[in-house]
Amino acid sequence: MKHLEGSALAKALGGTLGVLVLLASSGCATVRPEQRAILADPTMQFDAKSADQAALDHALDNREGSTGGGSVRGGGCGCN
Amino acid sequence: MPSRIPPIVAAPSARRRWLCALGGLSIVVGAASAQAQVASLDVSSALFVEPSKRSGLTVLNPSAALAVSPSNWLTVQGGYEADIVSGASESVKGGRLSNVDIVTSATHFADTRHALSGGFMITRASTHLSGSYTYGTEHDYRSNAFALSAGTDFLQKNTQIELSYGRGFDKVCTAAYAASDAPSSRLALDNSKGCFTDDKKRASRDISLNNFQVGWTQTWTPVFATQMVLSAALQNGFLGNPYRSVVIAPAGDQALENHPENRARGALGLRGKYYVRNLQTAFSAGARLYRDTWDIFGQTYEIDAERYMLPWLRILVRGRYYTQTKALFWSDDYTGGEPATGPRGQYWSGDRELSPLSSYLIGGRALVTREGRPGARVAGLFLSLSGAFGFDLLKTNLRDFTLGGRAPDDTVAMLWSLGFRGEF
Repeated sequence: MKHLEGSALAKALGGTLGVLVLLASSGCATVRPEQRAILADPTMQFDAKSADQAALDHALDNREGSTGGGSVRGGGCGCN
Repeated sequence: MPSRIPPIVAAPSARRRWLCALGGLSIVVGAASAQAQVASLDVSSALFVEPSKRSGLTVLNPSAALAVSPSNWLTVQGGYEADIVSGASESVKGGRLSNVDIVTSATHFADTRHALSGGFMITRASTHLSGSYTYGTEHDYRSNAFALSAGTDFLQKNTQIELSYGRGFDKVCTAAYAASDAPSSRLALDNSKGCFTDDKKRASRDISLNNFQVGWTQTWTPVFATQMVLSAALQNGFLGNPYRSVVIAPAGDQALENHPENRARGALGLRGKYYVRNLQTAFSAGARLYRDTWDIFGQTYEIDAERYMLPWLRILVRGRYYTQTKALFWSDDYTGGEPATGPRGQYWSGDRELSPLSSYLIGGRALVTREGRPGARVAGLFLSLSGAFGFDLLKTNLRDFTLGGRAPDDTVAMLWSLGFRGEF
């Protein structure tokens, strides 16, 4: 049985967070607020909370051996 | 978790607890809505059907959620959902070498899971914090789940980061055996009667769950955005199916499914959305990689496209491919042979989700939205009202899994969903 140590997971998580911050910092402000008309549309949102998607995720979780890595709230809107 | 007996009518005390809980929720929500600026109500239902000659499965999943914003920085929400499960399944797993009659071991079962949830979200200029609690109950399973999530955006809202943590304290009912009993001598449950009571033939075992998630959403151009999500989960406790026995010896000896008590899981999801102006369509593509300490490696690839067919009608179509390797200790038959069969050390499993498999999914959704106008609400009540209908078809290819040497016939599943959302 392979065992992934808890500390290894924590290191992986910390490392990924660091990479995220670096990448995001280098992303610069590429889209100005007045250019967000399309990004603000519901079709461009990463939203895991639609009823059909939630039902689908629920079914797949019970039919497959893997889970996680799904989409989270966010997208081009940036309007809150 | 489904039981093998017809649903038991809830005891009067259990009913009272549910009524009290629902009453409490309605008071909280009612108090908030008295001064609410905006409230939304989501009502939906999904129907999952997996036809089979021997072991079909039907799950009806109705749900309702109410969210109220008493101020522009606070949202309070509450919800209820149920899983009404019925069907038949094989309580004994044997493979291609077993002499056990798996077909006649299929037993009918029915159960209902109730889940009640409540939560809040605090939103400030560029940050938000949310928390929730969910209590779930069924005849043989109890769950308590807490979740916290915090997010912020910066660089003129082009970058959004969200961190989430979830903690679960679950309990599962099993047959009463001592931890010191040899796993090969443990028996499976035959029904859920006596679970979570002082019945000496039943035991309650803990499951501890920790979930971590970080998400990064980035807009790159006025028509292109990406999202990366990293998830990790730690599970500890009874992680098998208390009803399933596995044939572990050539003579036909059976024992309760025996899974390791610890599992660490990690997944990385990457997806992008791109709007093609000429086609007036938003395209999305994503990939997910998964790995856990049971040695399962999973890959998911998905695409979808969504377009306004009319100003009030959106259509989405989607496709998905999934593949995974088997758990290190999974075998189709533990009584001998290699490579698909043979013992796998101290553990044994009859779970098809731990076997090597792949699946294809196609589906879609139609969403109709009606917006009210100033002074003229939809149906005299709603600021906006929307309805969505979805359908998905899932085909699973079980590469090595058999029931007594026969390939299962319940590998096609259909999912219908219907939901309505109103803001008022």
